[in-house]
Amino acid sequence: MPQPPLDLGLPRLQRWMQAVIEQPGAVDDAIVAETARAELEPSEIERVVLPSKTLTAVERVGVYQGMYLLRMVEALEGDYPAVAHFLGDEEFADLVTRYVAAHPSTSYTFNRLGKRFPDFIRQSRGVRRKAFVADLARLELAVTEVFDAPESPAWPADAIAKIPQGAWEGAVLKPIAALRLGAYAYPVNAYLQSVKQENHDHPDVGRRATYVAVWRKRYEVWRLDLSKPAHDFLDALAKGRPFGRAVASAAKGLQGGAGEQLFRWLRDWVAEGMFEGVELSR
Amino acid sequence: MNPETRNRWGLPDLGIGIGLRTVHYPHILEKKPDVDFFEVLSENYMDTGGRPVWVLDQVAARYPIVLHGVSLNIGSADPLDREHLSKLKSLAARTRAHWVSDHLCWTGVAGRNTHDLLPMPLTEEALRHVAARVKTVSDILERPLVLENASTYAEFTSSSMPEWEFFGRLMEDADCGMLLDVNNVYVSAFNHGFDPEAYIDAIDPSRVTQYHLAGHTNKGTHIIDTHNDHVIDPVWQLYRRSVARTGNVATLLEWDADIPDFDVVHAEALKARAYRRKEKAIAAAAS
Repeated sequence: MPQPPLDLGLPRLQRWMQAVIEQPGAVDDAIVAETARAELEPSEIERVVLPSKTLTAVERVGVYQGMYLLRMVEALEGDYPAVAHFLGDEEFADLVTRYVAAHPSTSYTFNRLGKRFPDFIRQSRGVRRKAFVADLARLELAVTEVFDAPESPAWPADAIAKIPQGAWEGAVLKPIAALRLGAYAYPVNAYLQSVKQENHDHPDVGRRATYVAVWRKRYEVWRLDLSKPAHDFLDALAKGRPFGRAVASAAKGLQGGAGEQLFRWLRDWVAEGMFEGVELSR
Repeated sequence: MNPETRNRWGLPDLGIGIGLRTVHYPHILEKKPDVDFFEVLSENYMDTGGRPVWVLDQVAARYPIVLHGVSLNIGSADPLDREHLSKLKSLAARTRAHWVSDHLCWTGVAGRNTHDLLPMPLTEEALRHVAARVKTVSDILERPLVLENASTYAEFTSSSMPEWEFFGRLMEDADCGMLLDVNNVYVSAFNHGFDPEAYIDAIDPSRVTQYHLAGHTNKGTHIIDTHNDHVIDPVWQLYRRSVARTGNVATLLEWDADIPDFDVVHAEALKARAYRRKEKAIAAAAS
């Protein structure tokens, strides 16, 4: 004999349905999860959801539940294609399942879903080559952030020549919003490049310190491998250190002709549009 | 634009449009195809200052734009997301959008977003709740909100009216417009066993601001609204039936998965143009 309908009211109905949808695995397991049972006992489901001619009440909710994780995996795969490639479909999906359980989307946009993914990987157990994968995720997050960063006009390449010689010492360069610098313990940029080229000729990803600048120029994202001295110098400038102090610090790590080398780097970075301007001390 | 438009706000019949999708950016910017208007997925352009908004600005300078959202969460028990609404209003101004639409659904509760269009219980409680929120949103946006009927895969025992009645009363109570997705009517009719023509015939034609058309995936036991294929003939026939009631209304073809070349999507959209012309010819012959 059919049971009488049960009106949970809007808030409770939504809390229950969301609790079921967010559960991984089969829908039969999802409906008995603690968060779902807190709102509705499984034996009561047919009092809340109508069956159709072809699907039971639980199967109908299962249509939504089955699509939830697929959507999350697809979204994070878009932001972290190299991590997904390295781990493979099954391991990546498992990682995403655990990630969204810990950090479900709380925004109207998918853009913010993966912000904590690198830290989550670093703190997770059971991730293959975890330190490398966390580093790789950090680089991919930088790429995503640079892609979406606000547009700022680049300082013209010929602007350096217009700075009076005596003004350089206290000059503070302002980086564009779409610039990220990273120091990594693995050759993550080389790996990401091999994934993007789809050549499957991946580099050795053994431990080796690497440094990468990620920035946007004419609405395209670029990546540049840097030496440690170049990274440290660019990092100091991007953090707003006065030019003279940044040069003095960077020159210590270079052999003779350091000043010329540093100016050459600076000219290249300005030409690449990594800075939007300079503030000269008075 | 068709001067015969019959909606109550005098919103224009923009013709036949397609959704602006990333894979088509190069084609659109280079070829400047003859498309009547583009529909933009609002949330894709709210949190970025990069290439997407640069492309959007180029497109908006050349084509009429309408905004279509997926995260308004109008049916949720949660408070409205004011940050979302603020950014939506700014985007509408930036693109000079003719109207702003979203879905009659909820997407999350307790501060979360499942990023799915989840079904509403069709109850008096839900109707009052949604109507009040639609009024608030329309006030904030300073324009009538347009809501789309979503495809649904589950129904609730607590529902006390069919979806078309819920929609009709909502539109009256909150003075909002309808984005009538004809494919979604077909999908939900299959999944719930109602007559899709009854749905179409019950909608107040003066509220229909836009149509959606799309392909779907029939799983046998149910249909999923996948937007990954051509529009099937029964959906075209429902469209024809509805256009006979509403007159020619801005119509958009959605293709969001397995997206083919721009020309294939465009050709599918242009089929709608033919249906509209046929409909006008029939009306002329009848008079």
